[in-house]
Amino acid sequence: MSPIKAEAGSFRDPSGRIYIKDDQVFRTIMPVAADDYEAVRATGLIEELGDRGWLIGATEVAIDALESVATDASYVVEHPKIPFISYPYEWPFPALKAAALHHLDVHLAAMEKGVTLSDASAYNIQFIGTQPIFIDLLSLRPYQDGEIWGGHRQFCEQFLNPLLLRAKLGLVHNHWYRGTQEGIPAADLRRMLPLRKKLSRNVLLHVVAQSALQNSSATQAKNSEQTIKTGRLPKASMVRMLEGLRRWISTMEPADTGKTIWQDYANAHSYSDEEVRTKQNLIAEFVRTTSPQTVWDLGCNSGDYSQVAIDAGAKRSIGFDVDQGALEAAFARGQADGLDILPLFFDAANPTPNQGWNQAERQGMSERANADGIMALAFIHHLAIARNIPLDDLVGWLMGLAPTGVIEFVPKEDPMVKQLLRLREDIFPDYTLDAFRHHITKRGRIVQDTQVSAAGRRLIQFERKPT
Amino acid sequence: MRYISHLLATTMVLSVTAIAPAQAYLDPGTGSIILQLILGGVAGVMVVMKLYWHRLLSFFGRGDSSSDADE
Repeated sequence: MSPIKAEAGSFRDPSGRIYIKDDQVFRTIMPVAADDYEAVRATGLIEELGDRGWLIGATEVAIDALESVATDASYVVEHPKIPFISYPYEWPFPALKAAALHHLDVHLAAMEKGVTLSDASAYNIQFIGTQPIFIDLLSLRPYQDGEIWGGHRQFCEQFLNPLLLRAKLGLVHNHWYRGTQEGIPAADLRRMLPLRKKLSRNVLLHVVAQSALQNSSATQAKNSEQTIKTGRLPKASMVRMLEGLRRWISTMEPADTGKTIWQDYANAHSYSDEEVRTKQNLIAEFVRTTSPQTVWDLGCNSGDYSQVAIDAGAKRSIGFDVDQGALEAAFARGQADGLDILPLFFDAANPTPNQGWNQAERQGMSERANADGIMALAFIHHLAIARNIPLDDLVGWLMGLAPTGVIEFVPKEDPMVKQLLRLREDIFPDYTLDAFRHHITKRGRIVQDTQVSAAGRRLIQFERKPT
Repeated sequence: MRYISHLLATTMVLSVTAIAPAQAYLDPGTGSIILQLILGGVAGVMVVMKLYWHRLLSFFGRGDSSSDADE
């Protein structure tokens, strides 16, 4: 049994904190937030949203469930564990959009019961498959008539502006968001938008006016503080604002609608139908024999093989890709089929690091590694050839992610590799099937090794040596 | 002018009934608040006008341009 640990990312709000004990997740509710919690609980909202799957479940447990760690707490609740924590800078556009809409839906449902949200952090939304869920119980607190929406600016920075970046300018939010962690400030977006894209009521209000007023000298003056602090927003106006944002965001689509390289891969790749079936059968067989709960699908594309893995009995798949079009297609597949697949933006040559306060607030990808099995199909050549990553290191990294998995070896004779080497010198004498097998066998054993394409692609299933 | 200024001040005092949220660990941002006051209707617009009133007066050569003082 491991000791109880405070979750490093949950320090901002003094109302309470998350603690992890083995596989259990607890939240403290401190005396300062106890009255609000009791008032919200009395409205029945927590249960209602929990039943709908909108809000994470919360069961009150004894204070000493956390032993001596939180004896000063008023309440301790236990939450079910989210299978995989992901961050807005890893979400593709449709996931960020779904998260934004979910935040507004939770807020609107809360307002009907006289409850509001104290903040609008995108990190308070998580995903189970492609289904967003609100996880911060203590953001809910009683609405006081006439109060302003304190989370509006945060909502704009963490949801609205990153969506607008793509919807208005065709730029993806992931890199910028990962850099700032807090999203995109209105002032920055305002500087980037050309005049004609500012000329809509919503952009003028939430981006242009908000940023202009933020910087205006009148509002910066010391004695304006009292005026600003005492402002009122009638409830009907606040609800209209939330509804207006909901309507607006629900129509947003990426501006760069041209097909990306991989979006159409499933229809245009270098496999024949029969080869695809062989590949599918091998993946299904891998899942049936190793029974992984969570599969990581590296280079998931539109999620074809995640689907095969889930159909064969895997509980869920976390998909990773760099291509936005592919991620969007995979997300749409998850939504349409209710498939437990979460496609995330991920560059294996530059994975999400530990970052934020004390480099511990948001975890890096390795820290969150939870796969029981991995699939790396048509993947390694993009790193070994296109990104010059030594094959031995690459195999070591992949085999470090899970005790078992399937890796596709794509030889130099393959048209895709030829394409990658077309304009550059072949500096990869060690990129061979023999070397690849050797790198695996020094770390474990090869369980299955089958040719799947005429050009010599092979699916190789490994089992890591027990550590 | 004096009358309008008076009216504004009164409106402002009347609208000074709201309260900062109890658990406001988050800075809402002045830009966002003022925007919301404007969206909130007449009373809010008055409050905002009050903020900018002295700017306006000094722009037209009245009032003390070095001060934004309300009172």
